Amino acid sequence: MRAGLAVAFLALPVLASSTNFVGSAVCRTCHPDINQNFFKNPHYRSSTSGSEKPENQGCESCHGPGKAHVEARGGKATIVAFSALRPTQVLDQCLRCHESTLSRANIRRSEHTQSDIVCTSCHSIHRSATPKNLLARGQSSLCYQCHPAVRAQFNMPVKHRVNEGFMECTDCHNPHGANAPTWRMGVRPRMVHQALGNEEPCLKCHQDKRGPFAFEHPAVRVEGCESCHAPHGSTNLRLLRRPVVFTLCLECHNGGGAFGRQGDGIRIQSASHNMADPKYQNCTLCHVRIHGSNASPLFLR
Amino acid sequence: MARSIPFLTLAAAAALFAQPPVAPTPERVGAPRGQNVAGYNIVNSFETGYRFRDVSGNLGRYRSDVNFGNGVRLLSSRLSIHSREGQGAWFDELLLNTQGLGNDPYQIATFRAVKNRLYQYNLTWRLNDYFNPGLTIANGLHALNTTRRLQDHDLTLLPASNIRFFLGYSRNHQYGPALSTIQLFDSRGAVFPLFSDVRRLQNEYRLGVELKASAYRLNVSRVWENFREDTQFGAADQRPADPASPARLDAFRRDEPYHGNTPSWRVALFRETESWLALNARFTWSSGERNFIFDESATGVDRFARNRQILIGGQARRPVATANLTASLFPATSLTVTNHTGYHHTRIEGDSFLRQFDNASLSDDFLAFQFLGVRALTNSTDLTWRPRRRLTFFTGYRFTDRRIRSVEQITSGPFQDRLPAQQSNRLHAGVAGIRVSPVAGLTVVVDSELGRADRPFFPISERNYHTLGGRIQYKRGTLFLSGLARSLYNTNPASFSYHSARQRNYSGDVSWTPAGWFSFDASYSKLHIDALTTLAYFFESRLVESDRSAYISNIHTGSLGVRVQLRRRADLFLGYTRVQDRGDGRPSLFTPRSTAPGVAPFLIGAQVFPLSFESPLARVSVPLHARLRLNFGYQFYRYREEFTVAQNYRAHTGYASVLWSF
Repeated sequence: MRAGLAVAFLALPVLASSTNFVGSAVCRTCHPDINQNFFKNPHYRSSTSGSEKPENQGCESCHGPGKAHVEARGGKATIVAFSALRPTQVLDQCLRCHESTLSRANIRRSEHTQSDIVCTSCHSIHRSATPKNLLARGQSSLCYQCHPAVRAQFNMPVKHRVNEGFMECTDCHNPHGANAPTWRMGVRPRMVHQALGNEEPCLKCHQDKRGPFAFEHPAVRVEGCESCHAPHGSTNLRLLRRPVVFTLCLECHNGGGAFGRQGDGIRIQSASHNMADPKYQNCTLCHVRIHGSNASPLFLR
Repeated sequence: MARSIPFLTLAAAAALFAQPPVAPTPERVGAPRGQNVAGYNIVNSFETGYRFRDVSGNLGRYRSDVNFGNGVRLLSSRLSIHSREGQGAWFDELLLNTQGLGNDPYQIATFRAVKNRLYQYNLTWRLNDYFNPGLTIANGLHALNTTRRLQDHDLTLLPASNIRFFLGYSRNHQYGPALSTIQLFDSRGAVFPLFSDVRRLQNEYRLGVELKASAYRLNVSRVWENFREDTQFGAADQRPADPASPARLDAFRRDEPYHGNTPSWRVALFRETESWLALNARFTWSSGERNFIFDESATGVDRFARNRQILIGGQARRPVATANLTASLFPATSLTVTNHTGYHHTRIEGDSFLRQFDNASLSDDFLAFQFLGVRALTNSTDLTWRPRRRLTFFTGYRFTDRRIRSVEQITSGPFQDRLPAQQSNRLHAGVAGIRVSPVAGLTVVVDSELGRADRPFFPISERNYHTLGGRIQYKRGTLFLSGLARSLYNTNPASFSYHSARQRNYSGDVSWTPAGWFSFDASYSKLHIDALTTLAYFFESRLVESDRSAYISNIHTGSLGVRVQLRRRADLFLGYTRVQDRGDGRPSLFTPRSTAPGVAPFLIGAQVFPLSFESPLARVSVPLHARLRLNFGYQFYRYREEFTVAQNYRAHTGYASVLWSF
């Protein structure tokens, strides 16, 4: 069916037979600006192997056979012009070769694809601004363009160092789609690049939080780091969701409902605690191993 | 030169959007075509200069937030070598980019080497100096001054063939001094500072192969992760933070080696061809295992004269298995149906024996064993229908069934207790939306999600939630306008517990590059959060169950950037960012709030945290020669909390540099 689609969207008055391919040298005549630095482009490799079929070589590997385009002395109607394609057509055209990468195996279910954000929305094949991956802008700039709220988060005083260049969005996210997360209820977040294929991406760098521990804080494993932390940025220290730590803890440890491991409410603090004493308002002062401990079920050491 | 204008424009626009620190300089000099040498084209640039800073106020907080210091740096460098004919002897592409080398807190180097059809090698090296000044969140006692070095190597052999091989290695090394706390000698004891020498090292080795047969690809990879923590703790002659306490810690020592491996497998089978079906199946398995010994001795005085020795040993294990299947169907050109099924099973188990000798309570033997198992099955189906070129409807349904089992076993002397439990939670959620493009370049999207869970794990988990969002974007030439509004409401009522969280976000963005010499960018975002949650706690030996947390935050964030090229003699960039949390609008901490009357005094200061953080910057870059630029930059940071002053700071930072390229 999609083969038919491919033919339909091309809508070209030519057939893609080998006789309709003219070779990249002909394209160079009218497009010298593109050709000039094309040897730096990864797509140039298709021209240098010498073993590729004409339809997989150089300009025509993406833009289709150029004979009609040449005979018509140009025009978008006589060639595969990506600016004239529908988003799904752009995706189909690029995946002819780029389907081979495992990180793109979920591209059909990615929120980007479903939102018509396809290859050329982020990648600029002929006018890339980055040394790698042919991105149209620097990676964070590119993402911020459609995610201004995320940009605002990274401008906050406490944040991961993305604007500083130390990290990139793709350290944690896979913009080409990902499998269901193994934390929370497996529905959200949807485009996260998981550590070891099945863990939160935070653990790629924060390796001391990975465990396993003899006593794990269920919050970490069941609902994930986001239970307590805002991963992009926050006005609160340690990227916490609340400015003071005890409110964060007590919002869950309130004993109500049928929550928690035993289904009888998450245990409240012991009667030895006195919230009038500032010591007890800083839970992690004593519960220092809050992510997990091998020596204390209460994460005291 | 004319051809370099789009490149310069793009580079400048990139700098605008990301609003990075003032240095390194994003402008380029020289022709981007580089020089041709022996069949290769070489482009190279270096920017070196001096950074300065002058901080007044809380230097520790500045180091936690910003951390740029004084000194000479290689602010950035870029090297690219490409073979002109794609037939290089050893490589066809070589890239090396660095940033901040010398002594910046964020140092990065990336390297790539490619030989067409033979290999592709990527290296990322990063160094982060992290300073955590022991802020008020833990009574000022938890501090960290560590360095983290990260490196990732990935080598792909025969990248264009039907059989490909992958090798990889990653290393993550964290080290440096830290300050923590310990409570001695029992649960009513005093809290003492505890010094440690952090030493954590993770090594990861990867090996994989991918085979292509017919339309299918089979990818198998094996990963070995090894982690070693040998952090040592010690303290001597310490008094607790409370000066009225008679307690004293004479000597303390703890060794806590924690070593182990996480070997894992990943098998993926996928197919993406021009047909009516795309498939992707994946299975992963990892088996984390850590061995530990905990040896601690402490002498001191609390209510009694105390000596305590603790020896703990054991093993923690966590096998994780996941399976995923994605099927995408294309029954018609305008219709896409995608179904994804995910399964994962985590078992957390471990044993830990404890032998404790305490000369006040005599001796005690204790063995605790705990198991936590999480099994989740999730399925989502998404349908996208495009009846017209500019009109798209999308909808989806998600279902998740999660079961949690736990066993807690405690052995104390002759007594044993075992407490098994099991519960499950089911989530049903639906999404729907429409995307319209009434004219070229204009896109309007409206979407919503509604979810219901029957037994969430936490009081703050999503139970009855809905989202509503709208987005409008307009793009024409170099003009880009966007607006976004999104709300997320969640309520989680239960017996003796109630949680309501509302989050609303509004943002707008405009960027415009009308000419190569001028570009403009501005954005604004407002994030509103209010959360009301039942609290239970003890207050002067009295159990309080009726109180509640009412957290309110209204964060306004704005940024502005303008770049002007002055007659090709200088590039000027002006930028400004401001973050302001207005809290609930109260002018002072002790003004009664109307939304939550009668809260306990200690909660008043915890419910709202108004502050502002702003940073104007200016940078001028002057080309001295076809290959040389002189750059100056200044960036000011001001952090100000409205209700307290202890963490406020002002920082003047800047740099002067020379950028040379060929």
